[in-house]
Amino acid sequence: MVRVEEPAKGGFSFDLCRRNAMLEKQGVHAPKCLKTGTTIVGLIYKDGVILGADTRATEGSIVADKNCEKIHKLAANIYCCGAGTAADTENVTDMVSSQLELHRYATGRNSRVVTALTMLKSHLFRYQGYVSAALVLGGYDVTGPHLHAVYPHGSTDTLPFATMGSGSLAAMAMFESRYKEDMTKEEGMALVAAAICSGIFNDLGSGSNVDLCIITKDGVEFLRNFQQPNPRTYVSKRGYSFAKGHTAILSTKVIPLREQVTIEEGDGMAE
Amino acid sequence: MFLTRSEYDRGVNTFSPEGRLFQVEYAIEAIKLGSTAVGLKTKEGVVLAVEKRITSPLLEPTSVEKIMEIDSHIGCAMSGLTADARTLVEHARVETQNHRFSYNEPMKVESMTQALCDLALRFGEGDDESMSRPFGVSLLIAGHDENGPCLYHTDPSGTFWQCNGKAIGSGSEGADTSLQEHYSKDMTLEEAETLALSTLKQVMEEKVTPNNVDIAKVAPTYHLYSPSEVEAVIARL
Amino acid sequence: MAYWSPYDNNGGTCVAIAGSEYCVIAADTRLSTGYSILTREHTKMCQLSDKCVLASSGFQADIRALQKNLDARHQIYQHQHNKKMSCPAMAQLLSNTLYYKRFFPYYAFNVLGGLDNEGKGCVFTYDAVGSYERVGYSSQGTGQQLLMPVLDNQLQSASPLLLPSKESATPLSESEAVDLIMDIFASATERDIYTGDAVEIVVVNADGIRREVADLRKD
Repeated sequence: MVRVEEPAKGGFSFDLCRRNAMLEKQGVHAPKCLKTGTTIVGLIYKDGVILGADTRATEGSIVADKNCEKIHKLAANIYCCGAGTAADTENVTDMVSSQLELHRYATGRNSRVVTALTMLKSHLFRYQGYVSAALVLGGYDVTGPHLHAVYPHGSTDTLPFATMGSGSLAAMAMFESRYKEDMTKEEGMALVAAAICSGIFNDLGSGSNVDLCIITKDGVEFLRNFQQPNPRTYVSKRGYSFAKGHTAILSTKVIPLREQVTIEEGDGMAE
Repeated sequence: MFLTRSEYDRGVNTFSPEGRLFQVEYAIEAIKLGSTAVGLKTKEGVVLAVEKRITSPLLEPTSVEKIMEIDSHIGCAMSGLTADARTLVEHARVETQNHRFSYNEPMKVESMTQALCDLALRFGEGDDESMSRPFGVSLLIAGHDENGPCLYHTDPSGTFWQCNGKAIGSGSEGADTSLQEHYSKDMTLEEAETLALSTLKQVMEEKVTPNNVDIAKVAPTYHLYSPSEVEAVIARL
Repeated sequence: MAYWSPYDNNGGTCVAIAGSEYCVIAADTRLSTGYSILTREHTKMCQLSDKCVLASSGFQADIRALQKNLDARHQIYQHQHNKKMSCPAMAQLLSNTLYYKRFFPYYAFNVLGGLDNEGKGCVFTYDAVGSYERVGYSSQGTGQQLLMPVLDNQLQSASPLLLPSKESATPLSESEAVDLIMDIFASATERDIYTGDAVEIVVVNADGIRREVADLRKD
């Protein structure tokens, strides 16, 4: 019987770790991960929580995606911005999203932000920082608006405003200088956008557009590409044309198809 | 006259009260004992011609080398202590090769002449490498660079002049006068060859033969004439 | 373990294109270290003589030291030889200067562009220890991998595979070459995080040297 390699149920597969450690010693390096050198932020305002993120994904010094989505949905009333290894932030949020759904079926109640927070931190702590996800978690539940920062090793903060990612210092500079309690929605949106822009322009790991997500008691407003401050600067009017024969033919070899297949006489294709 | 000099003509780095450096002046005098050399510039190139004193029939004429190549675009003729000239030529060859190494281009003839004169002045400075006395030799430097053909004359004082025509050595006075009379800026290279050799002939004691003269040209690269080429010039006299 | 390195990489991209009677040299003006921008208006170019411009990326401290050295050498050359250094002569001097520090190199990746003694455009491209080559066009720096294939495609590389071999100067006109450079710098900025802010373009031709600056993305 053929045994099919299937992912094990639950948890990671560690079966190649020893082999990989040996290869590493011999100078074979594992492929690099896609990292979202990122600016993600969140703040609490008068009526709820506003999350913000840039949209650049990098692979080393190369921009891998100019308009990726870094604000993930965990539940109808809970969203989470992710920084770190893209695969880790996406998977960890998807897993928690599923568990929250099951939890809602089991309890018949809307999800609370602390529940999501506990699930995230226990998962991250179990993997001792190897699951490199740095998150800004925000939501509005029966106990009101909540904002948390989650670090890759599993520690968490509960804050009125939070920033994460390589652009966190640039963004925090804006929050520290301009944040005040009980801001209006417009003030909050402007400050979050300014914090993200600060990351976009001053941190090379962050760039392109601003995504916003406003969570209130009454629902969620997801403003994808709320600002697009970086359009392409120049397009050649001349354009590019490729004349036939642009690629030099160095040699030619023709293999007639007839010799490769036998054509048998028979009836034409049925109607 | 000599009495007044006697106190100040020994040290190479001591001026006399009249402001003269006697050792340098004596070195210039030494040139006047040397064999005659002539240089002529034309629009096509520069000709050098020298007299070789073959003092004995047992002497191998080719071993008397009075015209030397410095780089492919520069040659020089010498008069005076030819042994000193070898040091100068060696220095010039190093300078021109260094220039090619550094800049991937031939060195300008004036720059090379300047470099030679810098060395000519570097006597009596005490370090082991440099000369303890002035070089007793005068050079005619023929070359070709971006400014076209050019001819320079240097003396032991480290001074140099750019010339259209110039003679140095024992017969220089007569030869210079003759050159001034017959030189024209519009001469061809061939006419210059003839004039150079006929001028040399006037001041030489012996009959001119391919053995006792050397001719070279830079037009635009250095070329030392073979005995048959010299013979051809002699035939035109 | 904490350690200190004598080198840093300040990023940036340089390009030069040689035409039959012009040369275009360009570089972006962003200076960065790690994920931080140090300044948005730092020129990577240095005019070494009236017909010769050097563009360099890599470690700016080394680049400045290199430029100062070449400037001084050029000054001495002018005094000694009573003329400006030609671009090919400067190219050889740069190679020697780089190789002189073979075992503690200048962390500088250079393209030298200008006009040669015949007035033709010339581009010389280098590695950090002085290996150099005269080419029709070249690019150096963090955006090199992005730009080079586009240049190869647009400027018809004088490939050794194509016979008869082609002139190294490109067939583009001067304005077409400038347009191409503006476009490829905009493209490189889209995908290379170390390239951006503005592109500085220097055109050398028989009339002299002209400089223009175009904006790039600032993120």
